[in-house]
Amino acid sequence: MFDTLKDILVKKLKVTPGQVTPDASREDIELDSLAVVELSMVLEQELGIVISDNELIDVPTVGDIARLMEERSAKI
Amino acid sequence: MMMPLRSHTADRARAGRAAVLAGAGCWLPPGVVTNADLAARLDTSDEWIRSRTGIASRHIAGPGTATSDLAVEAGRRALKSSGDSQVDAVVLATTTPDRLCPATAPEIASRLGLSGCAAFDVAAVCTGFLYGLATAAGLIAAGTADRVLLIGADTYSTIIDPEDRTTSVIFADGAGAVVLRAGTPDEQGAIGPVVLGSDGEHAELIQIPAGGARQRSSGLPPEPGDEFFHMRGRETYRCAVEWLVASSRAAVEAAGWRIGDVDRVVAHQANARILDAVAERLGLPCERHLSNIERVGNTGAASIPVLLAEASQAGELRPGQRVLLTAFGGGLTWGAATLVWPELDPS
Repeated sequence: MFDTLKDILVKKLKVTPGQVTPDASREDIELDSLAVVELSMVLEQELGIVISDNELIDVPTVGDIARLMEERSAKI
Repeated sequence: MMMPLRSHTADRARAGRAAVLAGAGCWLPPGVVTNADLAARLDTSDEWIRSRTGIASRHIAGPGTATSDLAVEAGRRALKSSGDSQVDAVVLATTTPDRLCPATAPEIASRLGLSGCAAFDVAAVCTGFLYGLATAAGLIAAGTADRVLLIGADTYSTIIDPEDRTTSVIFADGAGAVVLRAGTPDEQGAIGPVVLGSDGEHAELIQIPAGGARQRSSGLPPEPGDEFFHMRGRETYRCAVEWLVASSRAAVEAAGWRIGDVDRVVAHQANARILDAVAERLGLPCERHLSNIERVGNTGAASIPVLLAEASQAGELRPGQRVLLTAFGGGLTWGAATLVWPELDPS
């Protein structure tokens, strides 16, 4: 799931590939508040995974977002 | 003074009547506020504003300048561009009327020498121009008017909290206007089907909480700051992207076009990030999306007609091009429409 998330961050949100590591924070990958909403929308549209932007903002790292995606996709 | 009543008989051919774009003009107040100006008094920076909004500068009306002052200037230019100074109706789309009561359009009409014509305001926040367009097209289709002056004008500087760094960097002042005349649906400039929608369950996303009947009826004084315009940015972003895309697709389909047929997209200049997200989802090349947000910011109901007038003058809109208009605003409201761009005289 981390690779799927990385692919979305790089291709859809224009994050530099080298910055996307499991330990990177939202600030490290320069994901501002509107980009968090965009990520939430892309996850739902492309993968059917529903994670609100409020939830994404509270998640500390990229690795944690990937884990949350796994949890949510397991429920689908 | 008695004003002449305009009578319109039912024998006017209604079938096949369409509203046709006959003129366009705009007016931006001369005062310019740059990001550096804002950074000097707010906790923000040029980089922060540009990266989140795509805006570098905006026009702000000075003290004593109200919405009607901008609207009259834009209206005069649109009338001149249309080659005829007379209309049967003046419709003003605005979020910032000169007074809570009455509507601002009658005063604008009188100042343009149009006393006696029908005149009223339309309130649909940033979608106001498209709601006004549907209204104007309806007046023409019904035979109530042969020519309509439709103005979108806002002075957001009068409702923005100067200390709010999220709204004060985005919203600005301006006015744009178009003249619509009766014609036929197959003419260049004929307004295609207008798609409109709303969702009042999200009314609180974009609002001025105080000053209306809800707050006044409470019997309590307004909370501090409630007299200012408020917007919840993240939720607005999501709703704006979804509805701008959906209404665009619906209007294109209603016109019998496909998305790839659209030569130029003129979207409400809400925020460059929203515009980018909409462009990506519509899948049209970036050169088909017109934009002036970097220089004028978000001018509310004025946004689309200002961009239309500027792009027409600059030759970025040319006769025969298939144009998509799309907007989203408080309410929530959204809308979209199509037209084939006509030959227009510069205003």
